[in-house]
Amino acid sequence: MAINLVQALGAALAGASSREAEGSAPRFKAGDEVVVLNINPSGHTRMPRYIRGKQGVIDRDHGIFVFPDTFASGTGKKPQHVYSVRFTARELWGPQGNPKDALLVDVWDDYMEPR
Amino acid sequence: MGENHTRPLSEIEIRVKALETLLIEKGLVDPAAVDALIDTYEHKVGPRNGAKVVARAWTDPAYKQRLLADGTKAILELGYSGIQGEDMVVVENTPEVHNVLVCTLCSCYPWPTLGLPPVWYKSAPYRSRVVIDPRGVLKEFGTEVADEVKVKVWDSTAELRYMVLPERPAGTEGWSEAQLAELVSRDAMIGVAKVAAPGK
Repeated sequence: MAINLVQALGAALAGASSREAEGSAPRFKAGDEVVVLNINPSGHTRMPRYIRGKQGVIDRDHGIFVFPDTFASGTGKKPQHVYSVRFTARELWGPQGNPKDALLVDVWDDYMEPR
Repeated sequence: MGENHTRPLSEIEIRVKALETLLIEKGLVDPAAVDALIDTYEHKVGPRNGAKVVARAWTDPAYKQRLLADGTKAILELGYSGIQGEDMVVVENTPEVHNVLVCTLCSCYPWPTLGLPPVWYKSAPYRSRVVIDPRGVLKEFGTEVADEVKVKVWDSTAELRYMVLPERPAGTEGWSEAQLAELVSRDAMIGVAKVAAPGK
């Protein structure tokens, strides 16, 4: 066999970050208020349905990553910032949400607009 | 060893052996690669790694600071890195905040420090319920979170992998890192449990 499977396996287990050195400029910073777009793409997306159309606050900027929506469809990496966005449980679940609790979801720049 | 010699193999063992033999005979699988894979997940990755990270953070304030500032780099200091742990974020439980992890989209989980995810973590009921009713789900794990404590649920929808730094229990003053690591459970690093005080 041409490839050494043990070596190939070692390389696979070492992993590979999908961080990118460069990408589009960040549109948000920690503390900014945002709204998640209400979009329903027919292809791959990493935006959970329960945050669509919801308001949140940028908690932290994780840096630049490949954009899965375009990467999965073969239309490019479209590298951009990913942020941890904080949503109150009340915003997501209404009165059923505990007023003290929050959800933090990792959201790509393209999934949001400023509020 | 000897006493198992004559025990008949279970149906699933026979099936796995037959499949493995076929794959090897047809040249589709290199048995050394299978051994390397099993060795990795039996001996190299798993929640004992994460427990060592936690124990270090509990005993070394400068390390804890580095861990919370750049999880990936600080975890690598102890030699842990690799697939599904390329970009790590560590979130700290305090008397004011209790953190719990989920991946609502699939089953993202930090393999190098916690090993492979438990079945319940991948199950639809955990993934759908812990976001809506985290306190209720925690109760089912036997974890009571006081009303005045904030619960933060981290949904790892992107490429970041999370790990909870649990609170160090009372009664462990002066304990060594190795002793402390023994106390830390996988569930405490997912955030569905707390680290119990010794003897409790």
